[in-house]
Amino acid sequence: MPDTPDTISRPVVVAGCGAITAVGCGVDQLEAALRQNVSGLRPVEQFHSPRFQSNIVGAALPDADIEDPAYWLATAALGQAVAEARTVLGSLDRARIALVLATTKANINALERLADGRPCGASARRHLQGDLLAADLALEHGAHGPVRCVSTACVSGLIALSRGAALIQNGSADAVLVAGVDHLSAFIVAGFTALKAIDPQGCRPFDRDRCGLSPGEAGAAMVLVRADLAPPDALVIRAWGGSNDANHLTGPSRDGSGLAQAIRSALDAARLAPAEIDYINAHGTGTPYNDAMESKALHTVFGAECPPVSAFKGMLGHTLGAAGVVETIGCVLALRGGFLPGTPGLAMPDEGVPASLVRVPRAASRLKQVMKLNTGFGGINGALILGYG
Amino acid sequence: MDNIIIIAESRATGADLKTTRLGTRFGRMDLSSQLALLAVEPLAAHFDKWDRARIGICLAATAGSLSTDLDYWNGRATPAGPSPTLFAYTLPSAAIGEIAIRHRLTGPGLCLVGSDELAICEATDLVRNGECDACLCVSCRVISAAAAALINLPPDALADAFLLRLAGHEHQRV
Repeated sequence: MPDTPDTISRPVVVAGCGAITAVGCGVDQLEAALRQNVSGLRPVEQFHSPRFQSNIVGAALPDADIEDPAYWLATAALGQAVAEARTVLGSLDRARIALVLATTKANINALERLADGRPCGASARRHLQGDLLAADLALEHGAHGPVRCVSTACVSGLIALSRGAALIQNGSADAVLVAGVDHLSAFIVAGFTALKAIDPQGCRPFDRDRCGLSPGEAGAAMVLVRADLAPPDALVIRAWGGSNDANHLTGPSRDGSGLAQAIRSALDAARLAPAEIDYINAHGTGTPYNDAMESKALHTVFGAECPPVSAFKGMLGHTLGAAGVVETIGCVLALRGGFLPGTPGLAMPDEGVPASLVRVPRAASRLKQVMKLNTGFGGINGALILGYG
Repeated sequence: MDNIIIIAESRATGADLKTTRLGTRFGRMDLSSQLALLAVEPLAAHFDKWDRARIGICLAATAGSLSTDLDYWNGRATPAGPSPTLFAYTLPSAAIGEIAIRHRLTGPGLCLVGSDELAICEATDLVRNGECDACLCVSCRVISAAAAALINLPPDALADAFLLRLAGHEHQRV
């Protein structure tokens, strides 16, 4: 096994992507929505109840009565990503292919079904446990190497990508299937309702009148491989950084210092200056405190020269454990297509938010290095940099 | 390859809860967070050896947060509905937040669903990769009787904590 792996000397690249989201099935649908700035948020009858703050959600499933929605979403997304990367994956020993799953609640639908006395099969019940869901997905998609289930709140997806890249860098795998999944459930919507964290009008990141998130669901997957196995123009996972606010369990730090620390760690690891970042995809939940905190963190690191910033949760909802993966896929699509995605839901930017906020998509004059941010309950922050060369 | 050494370890069980409380918020936490905090407490004397921004936390939860999930979801039948406080603990990573807050640890965090072996493996990787100088590795095995009835694991209430660092890097505080 190699000594002290680093992202510069042992690059990891993106070989495939897949996504099932509120804007459709497949990355083509996602790219079309990003280019047109359309939102997939809509009222859903299942959540039309006084028990819930709003029924506007980012629904991705074709049928709300699927027994094992976490598996359904994850395996569909993995199927797409693996298909795109089939040439390189087909050349590898399956024992050298790992899988890292990101999820906060796995198949929490099974708990609701069992509590309500509704039918729930053995497989759906087994997938209440994220590690078993990960193991079954690995088996189905030919990943016979290491398997991990990351459950680190809303940073899970970003951390799964970083741990997947680390598995390649430390020699444990040649390719890693990284999947992120969480599905809409009464469990989750009731929880955010109890916290009064849902915007009844739908998520409006960085908007003056924002007042919360919109719950969402997604299955998202990326195939990461050793750079020497992929075409030379493949996108590189450059570096990442993590931190903890050590401040509050559910609220972000008010000064953004924790997220700023994660951003600086990622920049240091990538050996990049702030000015070399061409676009930032924010966590952008649409809650007053999160977006204010993120704005402060960006100002701390980038000053008045903040690169263009946008956020996707007004399009997809907050997809929790899948957010880091699906939003990174959005960044991949932007890099490949040379455009800056917009911020659906944003009408009037709030005071103090970056002046470089991108409201509607536009062509990018320069787009080589992109930073993805996520934060989560428990004060956990993550930053990941991807780009060309 | 650089060797990793465990410089301290500790265990907390349900019996420890009868004699120890840590801070005013302790009673509001779920059992996993309480046990994780109790297991980590004896290791805190070592934290000043490093910049606290360079101490990571890697936690593995054997059954995720299933026991807390059941407690939270049972609250839906009450007039007030499910508890917002308990909702925050339906994430197995909540214990990372509680540990970080109590000990002012601002390094990277990683929570896995799975065994303590996985946590040690990933914690080792975090240190070897240079993402942190030391890593607090915590394993929570909290499975209530109700949760055990849903999955093929026996009831348990236990947390183990280990503090890892690279061999030969004892004095790194700046």
